Amino acid sequence: MKTPFRLDEHPRRPLPPLASPPEDYFQQLPRRVMQRVGPAEAAPRLGWLTALSAPLRTALAAVLLLVSFAAAFWLLPTGPTAAPPLAGARLALPAARALAAVPRAEAVQYLLSDAGPRVTLADLADTHVADHDLAADFLPGTSAEIQAALDEQPSLDVYL
Amino acid sequence: MEDQDILLKFRDPASRNLAFNQLVRKYQSKVYWHVRKMVVDHDDADDLTQEVFIKVWKHLENFRQDAALFTWIYRIATNECLNFLSSKRRKFFLPLNDVGAELTQKLEADEQLAGDEVELKLQKAILRLPDKQRLVFNLRYYDEMPYEQMAEVTGTSVGALKASYHHAVKKIEQYVNQATD
Repeated sequence: MKTPFRLDEHPRRPLPPLASPPEDYFQQLPRRVMQRVGPAEAAPRLGWLTALSAPLRTALAAVLLLVSFAAAFWLLPTGPTAAPPLAGARLALPAARALAAVPRAEAVQYLLSDAGPRVTLADLADTHVADHDLAADFLPGTSAEIQAALDEQPSLDVYL
Repeated sequence: MEDQDILLKFRDPASRNLAFNQLVRKYQSKVYWHVRKMVVDHDDADDLTQEVFIKVWKHLENFRQDAALFTWIYRIATNECLNFLSSKRRKFFLPLNDVGAELTQKLEADEQLAGDEVELKLQKAILRLPDKQRLVFNLRYYDEMPYEQMAEVTGTSVGALKASYHHAVKKIEQYVNQATD
């Protein structure tokens, strides 16, 4: 008959039979621990931060975030910033301002109305560029061809 | 060097590093094996041992000497082990016994146990115990720590520890006998 196992009769070992750690493990461990605790001492500037409680630190982080957002909005120029305008565009600025002053409803009404031709050859000839011969390069067609091309445009679709 | 000397030197900024180095050298082996018995794997034990000593470094200045220095270090090591095992369980959504199963696999891979069948069964039985009971068993059976000191380490009453150890021994004997049949 088999004798039942009893722990107090089993030879007691001082340690469980596990593989030993690497040979020089205990020689190196103090150095490794000292390396890890060293840098924490070298940074006393933010020591006050660690002394704060966790909720206070969270509140402080939130306030800093808010302040940085506010500063960003305050410092950035309002409205879209564009690249420096080209020479032609600089000339067109007064016209653009005048157009901006026209109420939107009135502008739409004008564009939808059939009263008179909307674009004339004189309009096309009036370019806001210094080189007046430039238009001749881009518009080599005759007056009749240009007029025909303009008439073919579905005006409603174009303006809307 | 005596604990008292280490503590005195640690309080002096000029000799703090030296004192701590001596503390680590004095207790590293005991802490490592205490942790290793709980987590089995050397790499885990290595990480946890370092964490224990880093916590000792952080809090040693506030150590009030209500208990012996070694008991205090043991308590830190014990908490680190229990937290490690429970976080491992949470991380992998494991039920209670599965960490034991994982540790058993690591144990079986250990060459030291090859050939000793009864010892392997005994170790498997120990790993099947719940973490806290295994801790009590290790402290009593391997470290032969007095129950009063165990009470300081675990924060449990002496009576509860005696009962826990008694139940642990019964469970182990029962498992080994069943595994042998």
